[in-house]
Amino acid sequence: MSRVERGRTKGSGDTAGSPEAGPNSGRASVAWPLLASELSVLFRRVRTWAMLAALAAVPVLIAVAVKLSSRPTAPGRGPLFLDRISQNGLFVAVTALVVCVPLFLPLTVGVVAGDTLAGEASIGTLRYLLLAPTGRTRLLLVKYAGAVAFCCAATATVAAAGALAGVVFFPVGPVTLLSGETVSVGEAAVRSLLIAAYATVSLIGLSAIGLLISTMTDVPVGAMAATIVLAVVSQVLDTLPQMDWLHPWLFSHHWVGFADLLRQPISWASFGDNLLLQGGYIAVCGALAYANFSNKDVLS
Amino acid sequence: MGPARRRWLTALLIPLALMLAVMTASVRAGATVSLPPKTPDELVSMMTHTPVRALSGTVQQTAGLGLPAVPTLGPGTVPGAAPALEFLTGTHTARVYVDGPAKARIQIMDALAERDLVVNQHQVWFYNSADNSATHVSGGTEPATPQEATPAPVPVPTPGTMANHFLTAIKADTRMTVGPSSTIAGRTAYRLDLAPGGADTLVDSVGIDVDSETGLPLAVEVKAKGQTDPAYTLAYTDLSLSAPDAGLFDFTPPQGASITEKALPAKPTPASSAVPPSPTGKLSHPNLTVTGQGWSAIVALPAGSVPSSITANPTYAQVMQPVPGGHALTTSLVNVLVLDDGRVFAGMVPLDRLQSAAAAQ
Amino acid sequence: MSGTWRDRSQQSGQSPHQDSVDLPDRWAIETQGLTKRFGGRIAVNGIDLAVPAGSVFGFLGPNGSGKTTTIRLLLGLASANSGDVRVLGKKMPAALASVLSDVGALVEGPGFYPFLTGADNLRRLDSADPLAPSETRKQRIHEALDQVGLSHAAKKKVRAYSLGMKQRLGLANALLRPRRLLVLDEPTNGLDPQGTREVRGLIRSLAAGGTTVFVSSHLLAEVEQMCTHVGVMSVGRLVAQGPLEELRSAGQSGVRVLTPDVDRAKNVLTRLGLVPQPWDGPSLAADAVLATGLDGREPETVVAALVADGVRVRGFSVESASLEDRFLSLTGEGFDVAG
Repeated sequence: MSRVERGRTKGSGDTAGSPEAGPNSGRASVAWPLLASELSVLFRRVRTWAMLAALAAVPVLIAVAVKLSSRPTAPGRGPLFLDRISQNGLFVAVTALVVCVPLFLPLTVGVVAGDTLAGEASIGTLRYLLLAPTGRTRLLLVKYAGAVAFCCAATATVAAAGALAGVVFFPVGPVTLLSGETVSVGEAAVRSLLIAAYATVSLIGLSAIGLLISTMTDVPVGAMAATIVLAVVSQVLDTLPQMDWLHPWLFSHHWVGFADLLRQPISWASFGDNLLLQGGYIAVCGALAYANFSNKDVLS
Repeated sequence: MGPARRRWLTALLIPLALMLAVMTASVRAGATVSLPPKTPDELVSMMTHTPVRALSGTVQQTAGLGLPAVPTLGPGTVPGAAPALEFLTGTHTARVYVDGPAKARIQIMDALAERDLVVNQHQVWFYNSADNSATHVSGGTEPATPQEATPAPVPVPTPGTMANHFLTAIKADTRMTVGPSSTIAGRTAYRLDLAPGGADTLVDSVGIDVDSETGLPLAVEVKAKGQTDPAYTLAYTDLSLSAPDAGLFDFTPPQGASITEKALPAKPTPASSAVPPSPTGKLSHPNLTVTGQGWSAIVALPAGSVPSSITANPTYAQVMQPVPGGHALTTSLVNVLVLDDGRVFAGMVPLDRLQSAAAAQ
Repeated sequence: MSGTWRDRSQQSGQSPHQDSVDLPDRWAIETQGLTKRFGGRIAVNGIDLAVPAGSVFGFLGPNGSGKTTTIRLLLGLASANSGDVRVLGKKMPAALASVLSDVGALVEGPGFYPFLTGADNLRRLDSADPLAPSETRKQRIHEALDQVGLSHAAKKKVRAYSLGMKQRLGLANALLRPRRLLVLDEPTNGLDPQGTREVRGLIRSLAAGGTTVFVSSHLLAEVEQMCTHVGVMSVGRLVAQGPLEELRSAGQSGVRVLTPDVDRAKNVLTRLGLVPQPWDGPSLAADAVLATGLDGREPETVVAALVADGVRVRGFSVESASLEDRFLSLTGEGFDVAG
């Protein structure tokens, strides 16, 4: 092989910069091929599809259980709207999201977010990605974007499977909101999408926590478990009245606030509060993840 | 390791900046604002002559009465019994819409549920999403006394109605002072402090924040004796003085809801239990009697007022403590005595005052 | 430490800017006082490495001598506690992004996604390089796989690869783009003799094309067969480096005398300044004397002196020390000469 002429110009003088002029400076636009590659790797894993399938099974199971049950569910018992599913299939998606938000969604997101960097480190691909060279900050951003993409896919799966199961098993008609008003099927669908968006927002803070933990270890299972445990602990703390000073700061505090999207008029307050809180977690965990990962000795 | 340290410093700046932002926001929220000085009487006059007739806002009620939080309380437990107690603990948020004296709506925003009270002229609807039930009250001639200064003639728990209860009932025997001004729901507000003159009551002081522009009460804070944190606060967190969408007051019960029809005059609508017992007598009960005056007034209900469905409720036993001849709900601000014969005595006075009132009857 | 041909004066006073653009780089890799500690343990202890451009540099040392850690420091995977690193004339890790595109590397074994095919793995790593042209990606992957003889397994999942196939895939990753420098950490690990030969041939042909190859190994024979230059690591220190031939000739040479007059021969050799060695190896007969320290004396004068003193010389030979002896004396440890 001969020494091949290089068609590109070398970044003249950029080596004279400070040591912080990281590998990714000024190259934000070329993160797309890596992001595309990240998404294709994420969504070609059997594990990812297994988790999405498990999430899709929740609304289907709810629909089947309600369909098969001979006696009607008493109002106010069981998860939100369980009693109304048999009258209106559109409630399946909402009920499934209510059921999934506390545990199933955090579980799957914890697996994906905890795996982001620790998983690469454990199979040795992290060093080759860095040698490619992927800038560390760029890799961190792409990894986080991948985790957020999974959050979207996960909530969308629950909502879509719920809508589908509802249409298949039950009649569909105008939907009664929490405020007692009735809205059309179209608006109900929009509200379901808003609830899915709300659930996604709820999970992106958890993803940032998972990413941070993932920078701290080379053992993916440990990072996943720690992320999921934190999600559970946060929700438990949120129910303890003795810790009420802490409640507004817990990342799970607004997780069930999506009910505000089912009021008339829509109350955007909790959506905004949730967005702000998750944004705070993203900023703090992202900054710490950046500092930890960019200084980390990759020895795996 | 210069770069490493610099990266950590950069990264730590972000949490630090967020912390500073949160701190300045909370400091600014509690900061006093300077407004032209007013006397307490001027503030009372502002409140009684407020031009506000329409508003949409969010109110938050926080009760720290020293009661244990009962997690089983909430939507879904026995309707009518639990909610009355529910509002004595924790924080509740409700949206309030008022348009003139005859149209009002309040939405109590429970977690994953909602209770609505819709008043439109002579039509009153109460809707509970938890059990999908609606109550329709109609046939009355007057929804409420229209000369009320507050824009909400119906007993919805707004700072306005609360402030009014205190002002109308306790004018005598009260020292009024003007406290430091502040900002509530984005509006500057005067602070009117009421302190009971007598020693008989559990109330230490009542603070009313009055909108500097319109005289609308924006927040009410009640402090109990021997307790540093407010025992009860009710405040707007968000307020707009424009008229709400008229469609909000046209309520049609959803299909499939269980509907109860009632005629006026009747028992108070369930939402009125959202207002903690107050000595004003505003919650007009047909057989209600008031003894005493002002802060130490005692409200009494005759025998048989408390149905057994309430006393049989397990949460009742959890909250009420047995006393000779009945059960008592004791809080730092309000005491309620329920005798075994069904008589009820309540007031912002020590329990022994209620017992002697019961014995006197 | 030797480093005989290291000309420090040439680098002093040069700005990184100057020698990064126009000057032909004399050194593909150079380090000064490179040190890395893990807790209290010093893994790399102030090494001054100098890898000439165009060389095949064998980085030799027993397992655990700090070779892989040094490579991690060179490539910016780990940060040094002190010392400077220049790769292809640019200061690391500041110029990491621009330098690493020109460097192909295989560090501490291959690392791949087991659930992707070999070709997909290469696609993933190639798209991680922002400078890699995506239009030629498919073609380059095909060529790289062909180069390491993995074309037939391109569509197989890496989970089904043998260790040797993974090692080849790792090499293919290093060869995805035309490189100026290849850093190969134990490239023949896990390969069968046939694969080992192929890899050595590949390295030689790459070097013939002008690519500098920095290859670490714990196998002396491998280094002797492939490399033009060599550096020797021992317990975190670089104990020797230079052209292979220079190192070989720097070794001590001695004489072997076959004679029944062992004691007399020893006396004569000692008088001449040579050092008779005790030797109990099986290859030496009882009537043989081995002495080191010939140090440029003419062998015939030694024979003449022995004969003049009445030593019956039945056989005489000049022995030059093997590279293995040389490394043994440098590191105090044995090398695995097999392979």
